[in-house]
Formats: sequence, structure tokens, C-alpha cells
Amino acid sequence: MKNIIEINNLSKSFSEIKAVDDLSFKVKEGELFAFLGVNGAGKSTTINIICGQLKKDSGSVIINGCDLDGNRDSIKSEIGVVFQNSVLDKALSVKDNLESRAALYGITGKAFGDRLNGLSLLLDFKDLLKRSVGKLSGGQRRRIDIARALLSRPKILILDEPTTGLDPQTRKLLWSVIGDLRKNENMTVMLTTHYMEEAAEADYVVILDSGKIAAEGTPLELKNTYTGDFITLYGVSDEEVKALGVPFEAIKEAFRLSVKNTRQATELIINYPEIFRDYEITKGKMDDIFLAVTGRSLTGGNEK
Amino acid sequence: MKTLIKRNTKLFFKDKGMFFTSLITPLILLVLYATFLGNVYEQSFTSALPDTLNIPQKLIDGCVGGQLISSILAVSCVTVAFCSNMLMVQDKANGSIKDFTVSPIKPSKLALGYYFSTLISTLIICLAATAVCLCYVAAVCWYLSAGDVLLLILDVFLLVMFGTALSSIINFFLSTQGQISAVGTVISSGYGFICGAYMPISQFSETLQKIISFLPGTYGTSLVRNHAMRGVFAEMSAQGFPKEVIEAIKDSIDCNLYFLDNKVGIYAMYIVLVLSVAVLIAVYIFMNVMKSRKTK
Repeated sequence: MKNIIEINNLSKSFSEIKAVDDLSFKVKEGELFAFLGVNGAGKSTTINIICGQLKKDSGSVIINGCDLDGNRDSIKSEIGVVFQNSVLDKALSVKDNLESRAALYGITGKAFGDRLNGLSLLLDFKDLLKRSVGKLSGGQRRRIDIARALLSRPKILILDEPTTGLDPQTRKLLWSVIGDLRKNENMTVMLTTHYMEEAAEADYVVILDSGKIAAEGTPLELKNTYTGDFITLYGVSDEEVKALGVPFEAIKEAFRLSVKNTRQATELIINYPEIFRDYEITKGKMDDIFLAVTGRSLTGGNEK
Repeated sequence: MKTLIKRNTKLFFKDKGMFFTSLITPLILLVLYATFLGNVYEQSFTSALPDTLNIPQKLIDGCVGGQLISSILAVSCVTVAFCSNMLMVQDKANGSIKDFTVSPIKPSKLALGYYFSTLISTLIICLAATAVCLCYVAAVCWYLSAGDVLLLILDVFLLVMFGTALSSIINFFLSTQGQISAVGTVISSGYGFICGAYMPISQFSETLQKIISFLPGTYGTSLVRNHAMRGVFAEMSAQGFPKEVIEAIKDSIDCNLYFLDNKVGIYAMYIVLVLSVAVLIAVYIFMNVMKSRKTK
């Protein structure tokens, strides 16, 4: 797979504050790439530079083989952005909104009609076309935001916290649509999110802290590097767990044991078969990784 | 750009608050002027004339009416443009502008999209205000010819272009609703004075008159006033008013304007207004292009 985004030594400062500090990473075509970080970590600054909204101080941004410097307009057509807050016109109908945005890419007349038809079927909003955007529910509005981002058939879809504030059902629908787009159109999705379970589904994760990469890798690599495994052990006594000699915590009707890795878990099970009668082994969660890497936790949109 | 203009214009008319505020501003001005300033204008006009002249009431009414509607139209074309151009700032405040700038649209097209949509909405409102003003003149005393009315409409059109260009440049620097409210208030209260609508420039000190003569809006006001009152002056002439008296009246109500002691003709006023519109639009586009380059 070729790299569709290449960021090399990117830096951006606002007065004394280094928002992005010598950042380098690559995104492969068709990948779901997750950007994690607390507020002020540099996620939005990086995305704004990629989208041509902010000037970088130094470094290079290569999109689909073209340097952003000198190819800004052609690159802009290859990127669709879903902003954190909907920026559509609330007073206008869904169709009017999409028509005005499509015209920005030169999509008008029949071409717009065809694209609108395709998107309304894909995102299931045909019955909403005449409704004012301001009168839509949060989930409906998000679907229209995604439709707007997809108008120009972009190769890269940037989602800036797309599911914040949405109900689980709508979140599931949106991820299903995004999954279909990746599968059918090989679309690259760059995601920033505060929902760790969404980041866990990514192909590659970059954790930013103070404008620098604090950790990166696939979710599995990150779990193996920054967290151990956990064994949940049922139907045993406190004394039995203590005998195992590993850190543990009591949870409801069970104990949660922390082990370095799956190998240590296997050794324990083999050495103490009389204790391991009912158990399950799980990898560390993205929350644990984030906590281990940044010293802070980030769950459901709240930095703790 | 056509779609952008359509979008901006639709948003303006969908926003009932913005639309009705813009629409009722000239109407409120007309009511206030007619109620409170009509008599002041009349007294000031009659007191300036020699006692030996016997002036028919119809002529006084026509003169006061012409002065009144020219003041209202000169102010409205600019203040309504500021009101209509709020969308440009609203788009910045609610983030909609980001949705445009992530697309490959040229900054000059985006800028002109705002300009032309504001021009259309302001023109609709100001032409409606012109119609109301003409009805008022017809009710008090009508001395206008069809040519005067057409020239009056041309003046309104040019002043709207001027007001829209001026508001585009000033609004370019604004990014919140509070800022635009503050600027709107300053413009509404101040513009009428510096363009000679609320008070004739001839009543100001000489230094102030010289400073104001450098402002292009002044010539717009004078154009509107000249065309709104041409019929009245023609009637005065027909009734045997001495030429000197008519010229003195024209001087006192800014139908005659002087730039560094030289009388400015009607054509020169048109040239000043058209050139200032062209310069303001060029500056506005230049500012947008430069801003866009700052992100590259």
C-alpha cells in the first residue's frame, strides 16, 4: 500500500507555544488512521495544516504524492472534512446546503443531481432533503455533514471527533457507512476522537502529546508495548489469588490480575491449574495505553 | 460564484431578524424625519430666503420633501449595506467560512460572492425604500420628472455599490456578532453626519468642510439631493426666483459641493463615486487574496 499522507518534520508555533513540534508520520492508502491526544496536543493544528487552513512554520506535507506547497487547490479536492461542530447553514434545507457546497468543487446541474442521489442513498437521507438543517437531530445532521465531506469524492476523509455527542445507534450507523466507504472506495480515513473504543478499531494510531508523537503503532503493537494483559479470574478466594504473586484488584465477583504479557499468563495457568478453573484473558485497552503514554486518561471526551 | 450568491441571498432573506431590521430602518427614518425634522427643514428653508419673496406652500413642501428623502436614501444605502453584510461576519463566527476555505474556491470568488449577494439584498431593500420615499413626495408635492426618478434610482444603485464595498472592507476585520453590532451602531449614527445627510455640510466649519470634501460618500448624497430636488428648483426658476437665490439655496443644502473651492459638477460627482466603488472593491479583493496567501 502506498502512502497517501506523508508528514515530515512538521512544526507550527503560536507565539511561544509550539503547537506542533517536528512531527513526522505516514498514512497508508485505505487505512483508518487515528489521532489521539488531549486538548491542545496538536491534533487540530496538524489537521488544519493538512487542509490548507493554517500555514506551517517548517516541514513538508505530501498528499497523494503532491507537496501541499504549490498544489494546494488540487489537494483540497482530494480531502473531505467533517468538522467537530456542524458548519452547515441551519436556515437552509439539506439540498440547498449540499448544492452550495458542491458548487465550490464545480459540481453543478446534473452532476450535482447524480451525486446527491448517490449520497442520499448511501447515507439514507433522501427523505430529509427538503428539511432545514437546523431542524435535524444530531445524528441526521452528522449524516449530512459526512455527505457534504464526500461531495467531491475525496480520497481522504478527515473526521474531527465525528461521533461526540451522538447516541450509540447513530454512532454505529456512521461507522458502518465509513466502513463501507473504506471497503468499496478504498477511502483513507483520518480520525481524531476521544472515544477509545473507536481508536481501537483503527489500523494505525498516533498519540500526540504537546505537539510531539508520544507513541505510535497498530492498536495491538501499542497494547503489547505499553500495557500488559489482564486475567479475570472467577470463583477463587483472596488467599488463592495472593498465592499467584502478581498484582491484582478485586472486582465484582472476580479478581483482575495484571501480567506482563500473554506468555506470563500462560505460565500462570499451566503452573496453577487448580486456581484457573474459570477465567478470561484480555489485552490492555486503549485507555490504559493512553494513560501509560501520557500520564493522563482520556475517556469519552473528558480529560482526567 | 452564482451558487454562492444564491446561498448568501437566501440566508439573508431567511433570517427574518436581519431582513426586517434592514427593511424597517429606512421606513423608521422616514417617519422620524417627517415627524420631527420636517418643520425644522421648513423653517430653516424659509428663514434663509429674503422676506420680499412670496413662496407658495407647495414649493416649500416640495423642497422639504426632496431634502428629506435624499437624506434618508443617502444614509440608508450605506447603513442597510452594513446590516445586510452581517452574513460575512456570521460565517466567521459560526465556522461556516471553514467549510468554504477547505474547498478549492478562489478567495476572490468567495469575496465577490459576499459582495454581490449583499449588493442584491441591499438594492432590493433600498429600492423598496425609494418607492416609499417617492410615494411620500407624491403625497406632499410632486415636482419630479421620469428622468429625475431614473437618475435617482441610478444614484441609489451607485450608493448601494459604494456602501456594500465599504461595509465589505470594514466587516473583513470583524469576527464576532458583538463587533458587528458595535460597528453598525457607529455607522448608523455617524455616517449621516459625515456624508451631509443629517446636516448640510455647508453648516460645518470650513476645516471640517474641507476634510469631508475628501470623502466620496458626500458626493453620493449630493447626487441624490440634486436629482430629488431638480424639479423644485426648475419650478422656482419658472416662477421667477432670481438665479442667485436658487444657487444660494443649492449651496446651503449641499446641492452644490466645492472641492478646494472649486465647484464639483454632477458628472464629476459620478466619476468620484464610480472610481471610489472600483477602488474599494479592488482593495477588498486584494485583502482577501492576501489573507488567503498567509495560510500558504
